[in-house]
Amino acid sequence: MKSKRIWFVLSFVLLLTLLMSACQPAATPTQAPQPTQPPAEPQPTQPPAEPQPTQPPAEPEEFIFGMLLVGPYNDRGWSQAHYDAGLYVEEKVPGAKLIYIDKVNPADRPGTTPEQLAEDLLSKGAKLIIFNSDDMKDGAINFARAHPDVPVIHASGDTSWKEGVNYIEFPKFGNTMGRMEYGKMIAGCAAALTTKTGQIGYLGPLINDETRRLTASAYLGAKYCYEKYAGKNPADLKFKVTWIGFWFNIPGFTADPTQVADDFLNSGYDVVISGIDTTEALVQASKARAAGKEVWAIPYDYEGACAEAPEVCLGVPYFNWGPAYLRAVEQVKAGTFQSYFEWLGPDWTDINNHDTSAVGFVFGDALSADAKANVEKFIAELAGGLNLFVGPLNYQDGTPFLAEGEVATDLQVWYLPQLLEGMEGQSVPSE
Amino acid sequence: MMKTSSRWSGIGFQTLAVLLALAFTTVVMLISGADPIQVYQNIISGALGSPTKIADILVAWTPLLLATAGLLLTFTAGLWNIGIEGQITLGAIFTTWALRLLQPTDLPPTLIMTIGFVAGALGGMIWAALVGLLKIYGNVNEIFGGLGLNFVATALTIWLIFGPWKRPGVGSMSGTEPFPLELWLPTLSGFRLSPLALAMGIIAIAIVYILLRGTYFGLRLKAVGRNGRAAFLMGIPTTRYMLMAFLLCGLMAGLAGATQVLAVYHRLIPSISSGYGFLGMMVAMLVNYQALWAAPVALFFAALNIGSIQLPIVLKLDSSLSGVLQGSLVLFVLLMDGVRRRLTRNQ
Amino acid sequence: MKVELIHIHKHFGAVHANNDINLTVESGKIQGILGENGAGKSTLMKILSGYIQADSGEIRLDGKPVKINSPSDAIRLGIGMLHQDPLDFPPMRVVDNLLIGHDGSLFPNRREVVRAFNELQNQFGFSIDPYAYVDTLTVGERQQLEILRLLWLGARVLILDEPTTGISASQKEKLFETLRRLAAQGMSVIFVSHKLEDVEFLCDRIAVFRKGELVGEVNPPYVTDELVKMMFGRVISLEEKRRYETCDVSFHLDHVTIEDYRLQIRDINLSVSCGEVIGLAGMEGSGQVQFLRTCAGLMRPVAGEINLGGRRLTGKPYRAFLEAGIAYVPASRMEEGLIPGLSLTEHFILAEEQNGFFINFDKALATTRQRIEDFNIKGTPVSTVESLSGGNQQRALLAMLRHPVNLLLLEHPTRGLDIESAIWIWGKLKERCKQGTSIIFTSADLEEILQYSDRILVFYGGKVSPPIDAESTTVEQLGQLIGGKGF
Repeated sequence: MKSKRIWFVLSFVLLLTLLMSACQPAATPTQAPQPTQPPAEPQPTQPPAEPQPTQPPAEPEEFIFGMLLVGPYNDRGWSQAHYDAGLYVEEKVPGAKLIYIDKVNPADRPGTTPEQLAEDLLSKGAKLIIFNSDDMKDGAINFARAHPDVPVIHASGDTSWKEGVNYIEFPKFGNTMGRMEYGKMIAGCAAALTTKTGQIGYLGPLINDETRRLTASAYLGAKYCYEKYAGKNPADLKFKVTWIGFWFNIPGFTADPTQVADDFLNSGYDVVISGIDTTEALVQASKARAAGKEVWAIPYDYEGACAEAPEVCLGVPYFNWGPAYLRAVEQVKAGTFQSYFEWLGPDWTDINNHDTSAVGFVFGDALSADAKANVEKFIAELAGGLNLFVGPLNYQDGTPFLAEGEVATDLQVWYLPQLLEGMEGQSVPSE
Repeated sequence: MMKTSSRWSGIGFQTLAVLLALAFTTVVMLISGADPIQVYQNIISGALGSPTKIADILVAWTPLLLATAGLLLTFTAGLWNIGIEGQITLGAIFTTWALRLLQPTDLPPTLIMTIGFVAGALGGMIWAALVGLLKIYGNVNEIFGGLGLNFVATALTIWLIFGPWKRPGVGSMSGTEPFPLELWLPTLSGFRLSPLALAMGIIAIAIVYILLRGTYFGLRLKAVGRNGRAAFLMGIPTTRYMLMAFLLCGLMAGLAGATQVLAVYHRLIPSISSGYGFLGMMVAMLVNYQALWAAPVALFFAALNIGSIQLPIVLKLDSSLSGVLQGSLVLFVLLMDGVRRRLTRNQ
Repeated sequence: MKVELIHIHKHFGAVHANNDINLTVESGKIQGILGENGAGKSTLMKILSGYIQADSGEIRLDGKPVKINSPSDAIRLGIGMLHQDPLDFPPMRVVDNLLIGHDGSLFPNRREVVRAFNELQNQFGFSIDPYAYVDTLTVGERQQLEILRLLWLGARVLILDEPTTGISASQKEKLFETLRRLAAQGMSVIFVSHKLEDVEFLCDRIAVFRKGELVGEVNPPYVTDELVKMMFGRVISLEEKRRYETCDVSFHLDHVTIEDYRLQIRDINLSVSCGEVIGLAGMEGSGQVQFLRTCAGLMRPVAGEINLGGRRLTGKPYRAFLEAGIAYVPASRMEEGLIPGLSLTEHFILAEEQNGFFINFDKALATTRQRIEDFNIKGTPVSTVESLSGGNQQRALLAMLRHPVNLLLLEHPTRGLDIESAIWIWGKLKERCKQGTSIIFTSADLEEILQYSDRILVFYGGKVSPPIDAESTTVEQLGQLIGGKGF
């Protein structure tokens, strides 16, 4: 009897341990960018410092900066892009040392809060704390409240944007975000120049201002190139968004991205653009290709994403946080760090320049030479000042968004309340 | 009779178990290429390094105490209330719900928060009652019922966060819109610790201690747990007592959820229970279901959790190492208990 | 095959389950083993078939000493045992059931097996579909299957443990015919039963067991009275009985029918007077327990009325019976009566009426000390019940009974106790009777029943005898009734 009970208890504890560990990966988010608000100005509002690390004195003095990463540091997505930026700073600034805690989310670190973890970084000597996810917005704010003198950066946030709706005045609170709209336009263009069926699918995450904006950008890029470079009627282009409900698959809650991607590929959508953190679109396209279908995909977030299935990858738009963090570190060292908000565009002279460009686009092997030439022309046009958020543009429901010739302000782009006319898919989350 | 000698051998085996758990954890560290001494140093400094850290330990201790206190009751009644995680979650959901409803009203914040606590307790009780009713009337083992309801609670949380309670225009893992500052449970200035929540945890464990030690209720619960059939034949309404154990445990779990919302996160987040329910089960098993020891052991577990936060920063080790230590402690203590029983029986 | 069991001893703790058993079974014979429950029959058969090992003694097969350490040893040596509940594997097909345990090639030839099986069962006139699922077979068919399986495995000694329980009359007939035919083919058959008529009808020779010993062997023609006497021991002269008068709180069963998944007992009528003792006799499993539990309110009768002193209890929950002053003391003390891990004091607190919210430990301690003294319990107030001996546990159980009790229902009140304790306990019970408590109890010990009961009910195969006056009956008469004769 007794020993039976002991065995029961033992196996129960084992089960419990398994459960506890099993529960965690289920929600391990490779958190995606979620700049809910980052608004207007294309040029940095504040950062006056030079992006080049020109002035370090001879003896490298140790400078520790801390980073809270929402996902694993090697997630080949959002968090890795930040982590790589940290390494970039270490490389550029002698004596700089990155300390970080990854998987900062309630599922992986139950019972902790970002501000608490930030304090741990602080106690280990960090002079600058970077919160890398929109999810940590509250934590970043709480931390800044408790430690107003410690320089803080909240990537993708808008707390320090004076014109923004969430402005809170802090002395040393920076926000930074890349203008991924351009990356998505280029992705849309590449898709439009590749599709044979004239149908593009967009694997969307959840619905919010940012994702509407990015999806619309992809559509605008696609429409523009379909007409201009492919010489086809843009009215014939089908562009459909299916939202799965979150940045990655949560079984039981989100739609299964694998299923959604397959549905696209099996119903005539021969290019799938991914807006989510994980690579289901690419993987499923690769499988469909192996089964003889002529299909392509465009992943997201991470420069090296194409490597998983180069034979179907048209290219990938990605973030490059290095220069922004480098600037911030320089300012902290120089004692000039003050609150700022920045929304950084690509360096049009070379969008893939790691020292200067905040967003980039890497071509994939599957993009044909012709298409590639045209996409390059398109990039040149954008560099030359082409703006696709220009009227006449209507919202999805037909109400006017921009009148003939009217140029959208950054605020209008940022807070895009609906998808655009011509796009298929939900504009607003259903209640 | 042989009481004293068995007590000493008990302590001897317990010590051995602790040493084995430490040895096992050390081996795990060595395998993962870490210097164990450095690791232990880091855990200790991470837990006790500053007043803030110590306050943080108490912050983690509070829900753990509440959960453990509740679980002691269900364990005493012979029930494996694995559904405690869901009960904490439901407590948090109900508290959030109450606060959302009352936030726009003119009611004083203190009253709103009080109602929040009551609602949380209610939420936990409802979820626990479901497990109990499923067991008693549906013949569903409480482990499976609880497990199922845990999943439902998680799904419900996620649905609420991404659905009806989402932040305007946003669906995010970070949870619902935070409550305004006046609805935060007051904390010691400069710390995250809410004395009120802490007091609640301590009172809960004290109540359970008294219940189990000196009342008819506690004794009957014990009888039900140790031999339900005999208890029934003695005239104890066993199903009613089981249900009461579930309800009381749910109440405390619900309060734990409420403190998570009112004192720690100030909103509903996806894994609001933070695993305190499962951790509480480990504490309860480790102390062999004795209320007296539950509080210090829970404090130790909370300290381990806080102390291990720094591991990834300095040593690039996963914080779940503290989980390895906690889990192996429970396993080895139980194992040693079994070994001791076997040895004494053979004598 | 000739089987010899020589000087077999087996102890279970303090119980000497087999005490120097010497038994020889000739090949081609059907050997009957008769005895009441717990007489040691099954123990001996388990030793022979390898399920347990003897402490000492020797087993010889055809004169050769053998060691039987496991059931598979036994079957290899040609000994097959048919259990009370045949050990088959319900969710599989008959043919697969046959293949199991049959060491052959990795990929057995199913068709061949089916052919051989059908040939075998034709010999005995069985008709089991080899492709049927085992759980669809009747108990009798499973038994047939089990016999075939054992033959298939090469058994030359067949042991049957209570094989006639749960099968129909025609199946029994067929079973007996089969056994006779097997014996005729030279097999040894050992037939274990407590049913006099079966044993008398079938067996070539009967060995009678009582209290772990082989009391004697009998050859036909059998004299039933002689067998009964051997089974139950010598008759002890009964102490003089007191008569108790009927009173207002007498207990009545009116046309009660009890039913559970195994048996049904119809139309029981009984009136118990205050202070009267009713003994329930019969082989274990004949319905006494169901009867007691029905009286206790733990089982609902499917028909009839129960009342106590004019208060109708039919269909009421157990607690209502309890409140009416009916107390039930189960036989399995540690499983149903006491709570392991709790002390004597805690037990007495539980048994008392609740008084306030907090327990007054001082008072409880005083009560406990008193009870320990009154009931002569060897233990301290903080002793946990599992640390007590069986006799002391039983005393503790009786000490927990509240006052007053109108009807006391006891399952084997003295089972496992030494004689001294048994006498002491009955003394306490009789004291209660004097105060007006009625008692209904079961016992496997006929002497106990005869000695303490005023009236006796005998249970046999779903039937209950009318109440028999204990003074005007004898052990022999009861023994016959228990064996099913005279119903």
